Amino acid sequence: MKKNSCFRIFCLLASFIFLLNFSGCGTGPSDSSTITIWHWMTDRDASFQALAKQYEEQTGIKVDFELYAPSDAYSQKVRAAAQGSTLPDIFGILGEKRDFASFIKAGHILDLSSYMNESQGAWKNRFFKKALAVNEFSEQNSYGVTPGIYGVPIDIMTIQMVYNKDLLKKLGANPNKPPVNFDDFISLGTKIKENNLQGLVSGWGELWMVDCLANNYAFNIMGKDKVIATIKGEVPYTDPDWVKVFTLFQQMRESGILAEGIVTMVNKTAEQLFATGKAVFAFNGSWCVNVYKGMNPKLNYGAMLPPRAAQNYPVSIWGGAGSSFMVNARSAKKDAAIKFLKWLTDKEQQVYLADHTFNLPANKDSIGRIPEVMAQFADDVELSTHPNTWGVSEFPAVIETLDRGLQSIIIGEKTPQQVAAETQKVKEREMAKRR
Amino acid sequence: MKSAIYYKSKKITLNVIIHLFLLSVAVTCIYPLLWMVVSSLKTQETIFSDLSLIPRQFHFENYLLAWKEGGFGKNFLNSIFYTVSVVGGIVIVATMAAYAFARLRFPGRNVLFIMFMAAMMIPIPGSFVALYVLLNKLHLRNTPLGYILCMINVGLSTSIFLLKTFFDKMPKELEDAARIDGCSKLGIWWHVALPLAKPVLAVVVVFNALNVWNEYILALIIFDSRKFMPLQVALQTFQGEFVTNYPLLMAGLTITALPIIVVYLLMQKYIVKGVTAGAVVG
Repeated sequence: MKKNSCFRIFCLLASFIFLLNFSGCGTGPSDSSTITIWHWMTDRDASFQALAKQYEEQTGIKVDFELYAPSDAYSQKVRAAAQGSTLPDIFGILGEKRDFASFIKAGHILDLSSYMNESQGAWKNRFFKKALAVNEFSEQNSYGVTPGIYGVPIDIMTIQMVYNKDLLKKLGANPNKPPVNFDDFISLGTKIKENNLQGLVSGWGELWMVDCLANNYAFNIMGKDKVIATIKGEVPYTDPDWVKVFTLFQQMRESGILAEGIVTMVNKTAEQLFATGKAVFAFNGSWCVNVYKGMNPKLNYGAMLPPRAAQNYPVSIWGGAGSSFMVNARSAKKDAAIKFLKWLTDKEQQVYLADHTFNLPANKDSIGRIPEVMAQFADDVELSTHPNTWGVSEFPAVIETLDRGLQSIIIGEKTPQQVAAETQKVKEREMAKRR
Repeated sequence: MKSAIYYKSKKITLNVIIHLFLLSVAVTCIYPLLWMVVSSLKTQETIFSDLSLIPRQFHFENYLLAWKEGGFGKNFLNSIFYTVSVVGGIVIVATMAAYAFARLRFPGRNVLFIMFMAAMMIPIPGSFVALYVLLNKLHLRNTPLGYILCMINVGLSTSIFLLKTFFDKMPKELEDAARIDGCSKLGIWWHVALPLAKPVLAVVVVFNALNVWNEYILALIIFDSRKFMPLQVALQTFQGEFVTNYPLLMAGLTITALPIIVVYLLMQKYIVKGVTAGAVVG
């Protein structure tokens, strides 16, 4: 009996070890002529696969788009692969510009400047300037990266306001002329309340979106140079212009233009409220075209710039490259990878991507062939800016204090002056730490 | 002296309160599952416009679409394979290790046990990059073996802790009797310890099966080939950066949740025993 039981245990262990060994058969390295691309864009995967097939038919070169979603897991994979030197031929970097810079400095990303400038900049000139800016490092950038272009924009995005035309008509306003000035905009608050509607919805619970609108107004009120000077520590947040920016949020609260619970609202909820016709305005990115189409294909809406609060400077919006691809500097198939990216950013392929994924094309020649609301978003891309293109970054602690302060103003907990003082205090603390 | 009616009404009131509380807890647990099933039968548009729990039109085709578009066939088999292998590996290694920690006296036993317990404190996302580099050097990256070994490692410490606690309380007389009958140490482990540990083993099996079945981040990092990916990764197909295909995602989630619910139902009576025996409480 003892022998028998030991034999059974031995068999069990042996079969388990066999199972493990059997399962150890992995895949070998991919075909040497195949270009491998890692991406995180679930909604674009089917279109990428279709284009890869098309490219293979035309050139005989196989392109393997490998999807790794969600984006958090994708970022971890790219970081791990960089450590293990197993990055694919083409990949994307998610995160802030400093992450991008660290990959370049570690030698993982190829400088594309010479390829972009070939034939009098033929490749470079097909893109919106703002789309390239996100992937560009200028002379004397604060990241210590050799100046150049390190990424290829696949699509662009802008963050603006959208308005429901039917609801605007219901409020007695012209559905084709949304408010252009801030005062006209907030004056709609009372009518919105009377009609039991929600005013402006947005994912301000996610902080970065409220930060985005505050920056838009900072550019409008004091101009880019003064905003950059503030980040550099040359202008305090207690400056009257910054207080004016914070006061706009107080005015929005008092006018009733803001939707209830906007401070804790996630963007998904905001999109749902706007798509179902419960909110008149939304502050959202151009990706919303695809979202609203899925939620309510009959939604009658248009895109507009945030209403101007001052006349001195133009309204700037956040935008630029939506998604970009980078070429692995250590890849043996660099040239083939670049050829493919040139093909992917050609007019025809860009129109195909826009038609199938509802993202704005990075190729400016494709704009004439996309739906109206997408064109409204794309029209304003030259007004766009992005913190990644400013060359300087604000301390994360300062951004958080400012954003939380804006939330406090919206719920009536703090005054604009208090928020300005608190933000400046954190700024000084962080600057002292750096020194 | 209080009347019988007083005691009866007190009992009824108490029962009503307890049942109302339990009912509210049950509803809180069941509602998300119910919403998932109901949403899986709606369209993307009606999920946001029709909030009723009974859809006006049932879209059963969502299940077929989810299965096809998510490529669930291969991923489903992968998940079953990983779950069986990992849970099997954990049960064998953890029962042997726990028995050794509880019964054998060897130098460094306590230090080794504390090291195992310390491993419980390290969250797995913190070790992703290190695991990736290690597996890459061992040529085990992008192989099911590499993933299975990592997942066994993830589940070992908790399982050893649960089983050791149980073996510590097990009467030594039973082992003495087995030894008199001629059982070796391995024989005692097989014939005495394991059959007695069935309730705790059920807890170990269910907890680890749940863990492996629901895991996808490590798989996503280790595997490059889609053919090795588990079922949970396939679910991500329906969840975009900005757009989520809710009906297909919910149909996929329902398909994914079913096997683990079946495992739980099969093991339910042992789990209750295991928990009441103090296995989880320790």
